[in-house]
Amino acid sequence: MGIQSRKKMERLADIFSFSAVVLLALLVLFPLWWMFRSSLMTNPEIGSLRFFPSRWLVQNYPEALEVFEYFKYLGNTMSILIPCVVFGTITAILCGYSFARLYFRGRAFVFGLCIASLLLPSIVTLIPLYVGWVRFLGLGSTYWPLILPYLTGGGAFNIFLVRQFIMTIPKELDEAAKIDGAGSLRILVQILLPSIIPAVIVVALFIFIGVWNDVLLQTVYISNSEQYTIALGLRRFNGSYGTDWKLAMASTVLSILPGVLVYLVGQKYFVEGIVMTGLKS
Amino acid sequence: MKGIRNILALALAAVLLLSTLGLAAFANERVTITYSMWGDNEEVRVLQETIDKFEQEQDRIHVEIVQIDRADYVGTLNTRAVGNNLPDTGIMAEDAVLMWAEQGMLADVSNMYGEGEAKPLDSLAFTFDGKPVGYSVANEVLLLYYDRQAFVEAGVTPPPAKAEEAWDWDTFVDIAKQMTLDVNGNNAKSPDFDPNNIKRYGVMLCPDFWQLEVWSVSNGGAWYDAEGNVTIGEPAAMEALQRIADLYLVHHVAPQYGTNTATNVDQDLVNKSTAMYVNGQWSVGVWLGPAKNSDGLDYGVGVLPYMKDKVTLNTGGVNVAFATSKHPAEAMEWLKWYAREENAWGLIEGGIWMPVLSSYYTDEALTRKWVENPNFPPYDEYKTAVVDYAFNNAKPTSWYWVNNTNLFNDALSSILAPAWSGNTTVAEAITAHLDQLKAANQGN
Amino acid sequence: MAVTRVKPSAMARHEARLAKIYLIPAFLGLTFLTYLPLLSVFVLSLFKWTAIMPKPLYIGFNNYIRLFTKDMFFWTSMRVTIIYALLTVVGSVLYSLAVAMLLNRSIRGRGLFRAIFYVPYIIPAMAIYMIWGLLYNKDFGVINALLVQLGQPRAGFLIDSKYIIPSLALIAVWTSGNLIVIFLAGLGSVPRVYHEAAEIDGATFWKRFVHITLPFMSPIIFYNVLLSLIANMQVVVPSLIYAGSNRTTYPEYTFMSFLMYRTGFINNELSYASAISFVFFVLIGLFTLVLFKGSKNILFYESGGN
Repeated sequence: MGIQSRKKMERLADIFSFSAVVLLALLVLFPLWWMFRSSLMTNPEIGSLRFFPSRWLVQNYPEALEVFEYFKYLGNTMSILIPCVVFGTITAILCGYSFARLYFRGRAFVFGLCIASLLLPSIVTLIPLYVGWVRFLGLGSTYWPLILPYLTGGGAFNIFLVRQFIMTIPKELDEAAKIDGAGSLRILVQILLPSIIPAVIVVALFIFIGVWNDVLLQTVYISNSEQYTIALGLRRFNGSYGTDWKLAMASTVLSILPGVLVYLVGQKYFVEGIVMTGLKS
Repeated sequence: MKGIRNILALALAAVLLLSTLGLAAFANERVTITYSMWGDNEEVRVLQETIDKFEQEQDRIHVEIVQIDRADYVGTLNTRAVGNNLPDTGIMAEDAVLMWAEQGMLADVSNMYGEGEAKPLDSLAFTFDGKPVGYSVANEVLLLYYDRQAFVEAGVTPPPAKAEEAWDWDTFVDIAKQMTLDVNGNNAKSPDFDPNNIKRYGVMLCPDFWQLEVWSVSNGGAWYDAEGNVTIGEPAAMEALQRIADLYLVHHVAPQYGTNTATNVDQDLVNKSTAMYVNGQWSVGVWLGPAKNSDGLDYGVGVLPYMKDKVTLNTGGVNVAFATSKHPAEAMEWLKWYAREENAWGLIEGGIWMPVLSSYYTDEALTRKWVENPNFPPYDEYKTAVVDYAFNNAKPTSWYWVNNTNLFNDALSSILAPAWSGNTTVAEAITAHLDQLKAANQGN
Repeated sequence: MAVTRVKPSAMARHEARLAKIYLIPAFLGLTFLTYLPLLSVFVLSLFKWTAIMPKPLYIGFNNYIRLFTKDMFFWTSMRVTIIYALLTVVGSVLYSLAVAMLLNRSIRGRGLFRAIFYVPYIIPAMAIYMIWGLLYNKDFGVINALLVQLGQPRAGFLIDSKYIIPSLALIAVWTSGNLIVIFLAGLGSVPRVYHEAAEIDGATFWKRFVHITLPFMSPIIFYNVLLSLIANMQVVVPSLIYAGSNRTTYPEYTFMSFLMYRTGFINNELSYASAISFVFFVLIGLFTLVLFKGSKNILFYESGGN
């Protein structure tokens, strides 16, 4: 084959891939568009093939807010989310740092336990944990069972992530500081932390996603509609109200907004983080 | 060391004594009890008004509402049970009452009503081991709602409002065929009818699974006998369910059973996706009344068609006192007060609940007081189709005397899933799994 | 300087002490939230206990006997869980790999596309199932509207036993945008020289894929298949949402996690649900083991082939 025809082939392949990617991207975005367009329609129109609403019924949103107490749910969700993200990240850094830099006997063993727990499906231990939180600690009608687990290093995965990241930083850096008499906490905060900022953000984002996505634990532990989170609030549309699709979709749009905002702001780190976790492990 | 221990013991004793004294001193103070319920904010508002009234009449008991969503109601109460955190009282899902009673979680309420006091209808009592553990807060029966305008336009007689005139099954299917329209406007009797493009069904059934029992009973069968043994394997019970499946499979007058997942009848009537709809009486208050006011829905109510016997099922959420309550006397006092019609009037007047006292069904003045209001269909129609029908033709749903109906219904609904889509027949499905259904009935 | 220099051994001891302090959260988590509960799940499964029984009753392996011999949902549950997980994992990996390879060509606006494919991953689960609940709906859904337009009968994607699992798997594939990003990065790490050399040798696209791309990617693919398998076998949210209580329970929704949830939290049999959990744990363990074993063969084959 001549160079010429090969170039031609390449160009054809490029055009093909580009069109395929565009088509797939549109398909991926389609459900989101459908949600949005349905949130502005009447119920009968939702069932049609119309791509745009014939009249943009913005008033669906105030109407949705009457049954879907968005701001209450959002506040409740945040009061779980924020402590989880803040303390989960801090403890993950401390633990990851210890595994990476501080030597003690039995470290390999403990770290092994940590890694092995990654393979343990979390749902298996749901019942004993539930009995423990609710029966033995009496935390049944509180958010504590949803928050406290994140205070243990934000999960083995996040500890692991921080450890891997710190391991890539040359040891000489903190050795020098150590000889100068700097304490380990100071080394961590002043020397290591600035260079692992991406990892820290990634851990925070992962904890955010974990809590944001959760349905099962919230269903199990939350026992009063005053405490409902966004996820449980949305679930109401399948319960006593039947499904009023226009209101359900308006509420769904509202409930994905905060996550989308966080994504737009942290997009770069999201992608980096995903790559890190997918490749480095 | 010993000295310290003595001092500690003394101190402990002192604390205990003081706190006992303290409790005694507070004994005359107001007691706060909790009442859990499902329902939306509108129902909470109505209930709060009722509680305010209760607290005006007496000042010893303060009632707090615990609002939980219907979708996860029993699960949530279980969470609270594990955490020793149950409310004092609450409404309870019918299918869980006997199971909870068996586990000792419900207080025996046989002493709630003294000699000669007006009690709720006996048919509304849930009994376990011969003792009542709760009374339905309301009476509810299954009815046939319809779009009056659609029947007028089609020139078809609408569902009868009197039990004596109830349609037999073949008539019902025939009428449903006339009311089913495809996108081209042909009805299901027309040779050009296109069953794949149905615009309006003749009838829809509420997807709440327990309601299906009514058809077996109507056909002279039953899901259980009087002792609570499974009898669903008998031909009459199964044949009735096959007829329900055939509404979709053979006659094309209804969507496949369970596929209209929404329970709010108003939407399907307003949207004209169906001409008739089978659902409980509460629909009048929860959906149809509001839709009448906001969307101008002109709906009518009739009695169910019958196969052999003209029957409907009655049920009603159960008010129970939990065995773990520290204030059982106050808990029952509240329940007893709440059970009086005049105190739950907001819910009755709104059409969500039907009264539990027989006088409301037999005394015309009381019936008028209840029914003659703008939330309801015309008095004459409602009187015969709902009030008389509920009084004369209703049989209790099996969960009033059969335990583990939730397990049984989970099992049965799973077994029947392929029968609704025609992959198997009801009789085949049930016969093949009868042992499992019996096991579910036994709690396995 | 006021600081006294510490002897190395003292320093090491100090370091060890510090480590143990910093690791307290991890210790607590591993002990009380992971391994102790795992043990308790097994212990609890040997008892009969409901939420308000004052004392659990020891019944040996009766819960397991009931599960294996009497429970009508158990085998169905195992079957649908495995089918769903396999379908989802294979679907997600193929889809993600394909998209990643398309994006890996020098495509204009690659960053933008990468961001778009990633979006479904950040939509909370409840919202995802709400949206797809509408798309799949028999009366209001767009797919059925299209079918009607094409003169086909409507299909109950979420309520017809034939369609439920594939429909749910498609949702899971849609949300697997994170895999695309990972694979894309993995592809980027394949040294270009190999491809160029192969191209000069006239290797076809397929040959290059099998002999260069796959070997490089196989550890990444393996690792993600493993994690995605563990995650997908725990599927429960669609059942929580689509298989509401009181409605028809389609057997296809009784995934093992859901069976456990329903048994423990709705029907109140916590110890029996523990037996289900433990069996589930063993099942996932077996799958993981098989995957590890299988992966060794593949990796060996490739290093031998190169």
